[in-house]
Amino acid sequence: MSGYRGEEEYDYLFKLVLIGDSGVGKSNLLSRFTRNEFNLESKSTIGVEFATKTLNVDSKVIKAQIWDTAGQERYRAITSAYYRGAVGALLVYDVTRNVTFENIERWLKELRDHTDPNIVVMLIGNKSDLQHLSAVSTEDAKAFAERESLYFMETSALEATNVENAFKEVLSQIYHIVSKKAVETGNESSSLPSKGETINVKDDSSAPKKSSCCSS
Amino acid sequence: MMKKKEEEEDPNHNHPTIPTSPLSSIDSRFNQTLRNVQGLLKGRSFPGKVLITRRTDPIDYPTLLSPGIRSPTDNNCGPSNNMDDSVEKEARIRSQTNTDSDNSKLKTSTSTNESATKEVEKSTMGARATDSARIMKFTKELSAPAVILDKLRELAWSGVPPYLRPSVWRLLLGYAPPNSDRRESVLRRKRLEYLDCVAQYYDVSDNERTDEEINMLRQISVDCPRTVPDVAFFQQAEVQKSLERILYTWAIRHPASGYVQGINDLLTPFLVVFLSEHLEDGLDKWSMLNLSVEDISNIEADCYWCLSKLLEGMQDHYTFAQPGIQRLVFKLKELVRRIDEPVSRHMEEQGLEFLQFAFRWFNCLLIREIPFHLINRLWDTYLAEGDALPDFLVYIFASFLLTWSDKLLKLDFQEMVMFLQHLPTQNWTYMELEVVLSRAYMWHSMFESCPSHLAS
Repeated sequence: MSGYRGEEEYDYLFKLVLIGDSGVGKSNLLSRFTRNEFNLESKSTIGVEFATKTLNVDSKVIKAQIWDTAGQERYRAITSAYYRGAVGALLVYDVTRNVTFENIERWLKELRDHTDPNIVVMLIGNKSDLQHLSAVSTEDAKAFAERESLYFMETSALEATNVENAFKEVLSQIYHIVSKKAVETGNESSSLPSKGETINVKDDSSAPKKSSCCSS
Repeated sequence: MMKKKEEEEDPNHNHPTIPTSPLSSIDSRFNQTLRNVQGLLKGRSFPGKVLITRRTDPIDYPTLLSPGIRSPTDNNCGPSNNMDDSVEKEARIRSQTNTDSDNSKLKTSTSTNESATKEVEKSTMGARATDSARIMKFTKELSAPAVILDKLRELAWSGVPPYLRPSVWRLLLGYAPPNSDRRESVLRRKRLEYLDCVAQYYDVSDNERTDEEINMLRQISVDCPRTVPDVAFFQQAEVQKSLERILYTWAIRHPASGYVQGINDLLTPFLVVFLSEHLEDGLDKWSMLNLSVEDISNIEADCYWCLSKLLEGMQDHYTFAQPGIQRLVFKLKELVRRIDEPVSRHMEEQGLEFLQFAFRWFNCLLIREIPFHLINRLWDTYLAEGDALPDFLVYIFASFLLTWSDKLLKLDFQEMVMFLQHLPTQNWTYMELEVVLSRAYMWHSMFESCPSHLAS
């Protein structure tokens, strides 16, 4: 891999997406995980936003490249373009708003339509600190997750409960799939496992075009 | 339809650039330099201000068109300038009476040495006399029986005095009619119409709404509390209620797009400007509780109609898949490639797509990217552009992006995405914004007069 100068070393680069209804706390989950920050009055996400975090899984250095998406339906045409190449997804609802849980089914379909079938998906019930306002029972969510073969966790970005665990779990699961595949194919040394499982963003760039004024 | 008049009037003004460098003190050669500048600007009315660039070599037109013009503001001047009135902020060099002007002369006059051009920069920054003259021009325009919109646009492009902003914006957007004897009655009628809409659409119970409408209202109510959350004024419950009423009413009446996140941001400059007619002191001291119900309703109506007018010219920016924005993002990419090939190539090599950062710029018209107190000044120019705004946005955003061209070249993909999503504009003053606008104006003039430069 041709690392750009100054780029930190890592063994794997995994692309994750954060999806779910507007206002469920996706951006705060991301800022809690990547910068240990929480902002009660964060602005809505327009289109997509992006952050990275590097961590260790089984003594490997994993770099997570996380795309945070706008929750409003109108943006799906824009945001779904970012699903491509994702190897993990956090599907977030707000435990205090049942409608955001009801919409999970649509988000899941959206995800299935645009990503590799092997993508690791975790269902996340955020805002678990607002227990007294809880409108979605943990059991219902758990049952749904089992039915759809999703991992499941309840988190609080505000109180930093389970946030790190959730991301770490997703990344570990991805890593296990990837390393298992690498062993199976006898290709352990490769840092870029099979197609659709990890993304190197630089692969997206096309050859630079020469251009100068008046030439065309 | 409203094209930039200046170009039409004068095909000869492709060089609105004054080479100069960071601020230095005034000295005696100012007058000489001013004459040079006046020569440079001959034959044209020049909205915006003179471009501040680091170039010290004589301007050569072909060179200007070649790729790789470096941006001027990496060493930006910082918040050294303390004037806080946009009118006072603007350094303006306006065209003077003139007769002969030709390109060779332009080149000669731009060959002035560096120190001389420094002086122009400095001296024009403090040109107060021009400001009162400008205010008089505004007052004169506004008091005419029929406001000539073209003239008003030309004046407003460089910034509107804050206390005139409400009237000027209403006129520029075509909400208030230019004819003064019709103005009051039209506004009264429009304000009543808004009141009716609110009663009909907003002040109803949920069981009179469709599922879709309930969804939209829910989305709006999720977004209102997080509209400009860093400005305390917007945390007032009454402010958020007003935002909600206006946005929902607008959304219901514009079903092709409905409410799209980010439109809440677009409403905020209007709210602040129209509130300023009723509330004293600064935004941080305002309280909606000091206003009568009628005042609030009228302010909301003005916001509603101005938002409607603004978005009329950008309808497909907010319809499904937002084709209007996608088109402008593509144009931006092309323009940047023409202006600054190294940056463009670097971004491409790194796999950075313009959509990854510029989408929000277009969606929220830069409100998210610069300090809130500068937004009104930016919007003076937006509204002065009128129907030409979408195309001009491309130039403004190219100019904005290339403010950091040197920096961008040093960043890899991930650093670039994060840098561009959190640009270091927190300490920006009017000065940095003026630079962005002037440069946009210059590039626009250059490329519009030679469209083949944009063909690819």
